[in-house]
Amino acid sequence: MQDGHYQKRLRNMYNYISDNLYLNRPDIEIKGEKFNSALLLGLLSAINRGKELIIGEPGLGKTTSAEYVGSIVYRYPLGVIWGSEVPGHPEQTEEKIIGRPHLGELSKGNEKVVWSNFAQIPVKVVDEINRLPETKQSMILNGVDRGNWEYLNETLINDEYSLFATCNYQDRGTNTIIPPLIDRFDILVESRHPGPNIAFTIGMEAKRDHPLRHPEYEKRLHEILRGDEAYEEKMLLAEEISDLFGEYMKENLGLEGLAKQERRESSSQIEKIGFDLEANSFTRMMLAELSFCHKFGQKRSLEQCEEGCHYTGYLCHHVKNCASNRLPISIRNYAQTLAWFLEDEEVDLEHVRLITPYTLAHRIQWKDSYLSKKEGEGRNDPLQIYMAREATEEVFKRYSEQREYLTEAFSVAYRAFDQDEIAPLDGDHPIYEAIKRDIGAKDEKPV
Amino acid sequence: MKNPFEAFHNIGVRRREIPLDTILKSKEETLARILRGYEDLLRNEAKDLVWLMQYSTVIKAYGMAEKRIEELEYTAEDIEEFCYALDRSDQIPYLITGPAGVYISALCNYAPEEEITLNLRDVNVKINLLGYRLPPNKKLVVNGNLGDFSGIGLDGGELIVEGSCKNYTGAGMKRGLLTVRHNLGFNTGHGMTGGEIHVGGRIKGLGKIVGGKIFEGDQLIFPNEGVKPYYF
Repeated sequence: MQDGHYQKRLRNMYNYISDNLYLNRPDIEIKGEKFNSALLLGLLSAINRGKELIIGEPGLGKTTSAEYVGSIVYRYPLGVIWGSEVPGHPEQTEEKIIGRPHLGELSKGNEKVVWSNFAQIPVKVVDEINRLPETKQSMILNGVDRGNWEYLNETLINDEYSLFATCNYQDRGTNTIIPPLIDRFDILVESRHPGPNIAFTIGMEAKRDHPLRHPEYEKRLHEILRGDEAYEEKMLLAEEISDLFGEYMKENLGLEGLAKQERRESSSQIEKIGFDLEANSFTRMMLAELSFCHKFGQKRSLEQCEEGCHYTGYLCHHVKNCASNRLPISIRNYAQTLAWFLEDEEVDLEHVRLITPYTLAHRIQWKDSYLSKKEGEGRNDPLQIYMAREATEEVFKRYSEQREYLTEAFSVAYRAFDQDEIAPLDGDHPIYEAIKRDIGAKDEKPV
Repeated sequence: MKNPFEAFHNIGVRRREIPLDTILKSKEETLARILRGYEDLLRNEAKDLVWLMQYSTVIKAYGMAEKRIEELEYTAEDIEEFCYALDRSDQIPYLITGPAGVYISALCNYAPEEEITLNLRDVNVKINLLGYRLPPNKKLVVNGNLGDFSGIGLDGGELIVEGSCKNYTGAGMKRGLLTVRHNLGFNTGHGMTGGEIHVGGRIKGLGKIVGGKIFEGDQLIFPNEGVKPYYF
């Protein structure tokens, strides 16, 4: 397939959804192009098998945007997506989310699992995830993380999947999302109000018949998913129906989704995109500020550093928790996918700067004192994304001041890693201390 | 373990130099060149590790010293550094104070500065012959004590010694001013034909003086009624 072919298809999807299904205002800009963050990052999540948490007021398109994206990219009719969604509510059970015993077989003394549509199809939508009680959130940890679904003694492993979960703002019916679950989401975006004029247009143009519905294919897909065949065989059969739905979309909507093989090729192209040195250095600097603690060795949620530390001006002093190893994975995946989408050869600083706030927003636990200082500031984004964006820009400023020296420090560290006699470069940032620890040099600043 | 900085292996490392590094490096190179000049002088002038202090040998040694330093770029600080190097056996193969003094005198006479101060209080060896042929418009201040033949052949310059000197100070002096804060030894001003010697302390003895003036404290002790000019 020629270069840029899949990207053009994805752009076509973006434009179609933006013009017909999810009318929106652009809220981000990269390389001179403006995009809507919820839609763009939704598409990137679908293509890179990501996990996206969508927040927003009720009725502003959190769930529907995810459904459209999943339906078009994976070529599943909308009815199948709806039939596979997991609604979050306190009475939700493992049997409804993952699977249940086959009652007929059970009466014969055989233990067999009937897997839920949610567990089987690659487009997974959890609606209002924060209405799941905290105890029940643990049930989906493994599935969300690795696509492994276990019930009784059987396991179902998805070879590809994207997860979209929506989340309402806090009200009486919501619960906190437990940290291990929230950390498993790659990004957090807000589905925003499009403004009164676009909202009026949405109201006027709303149709009862949805172009992404196809009752016949939906019925056949439901039959396949209910069938007794092995999971892998079911997926092959489902792909045949997806091909037919893909043809339907192409003919009637002018849209081309991506077949399974095409999605694999896209992933393979995305994985090959490397980080340039600036993006590499900046990401390391960001991670250093979010994981370093001069006093306790690393950030830990249960240990809080006090005022007067040498590194008081850095992010490490404002956050409670430590950046997990999923953070750099999320940054890499999304920055690579964004670079691929824009047909850039390498991931550069612009890609990383745009993506980082969305990967950080839900993961950082800010100290209360810092939160209360920032929450009153004027902004357009929700507080979480705003603070993550501010943090990213703060680190970017520090990076800009010492980019050359930092690159050199990494280069020296490369040599010092294997040769004891080379001394690492000193600098006033946690990254330099982290480098010293990596190469086994002593930390000379007294605690 | 995999090197976590692998991505940066192609980046060249610039050698970081702070200004002090450059200064020190330059100083070391200059000192090395001065030392090489001194060693050359010794090889030619003191082949058997013996150097006889004679009028002709001093002139010859000075001529050779002038050649050794004519392409050198140095400052008064480098001269002082050389004096300390003379004191350290690891930098000097052997020290013979006569040629060393002639060599230092040549360095002072050709130094770019008009006023040179050498702080030699911590130098253990007593350098001889310092101030030899100090020309007009040159001022050499030595903090510390000197050996024999200091300021000999002084040729219009000003030599100030903030300490004491040994024998034959100001011998053969033609013109200029020699001031010694403390004491002088025997044969002071031997053969001097002009200029002035001022001594703050005591003079053990005067040499055969032809001309010029010598003061001990405020008192003119040459020429005066008791000490007349000597005619060779």
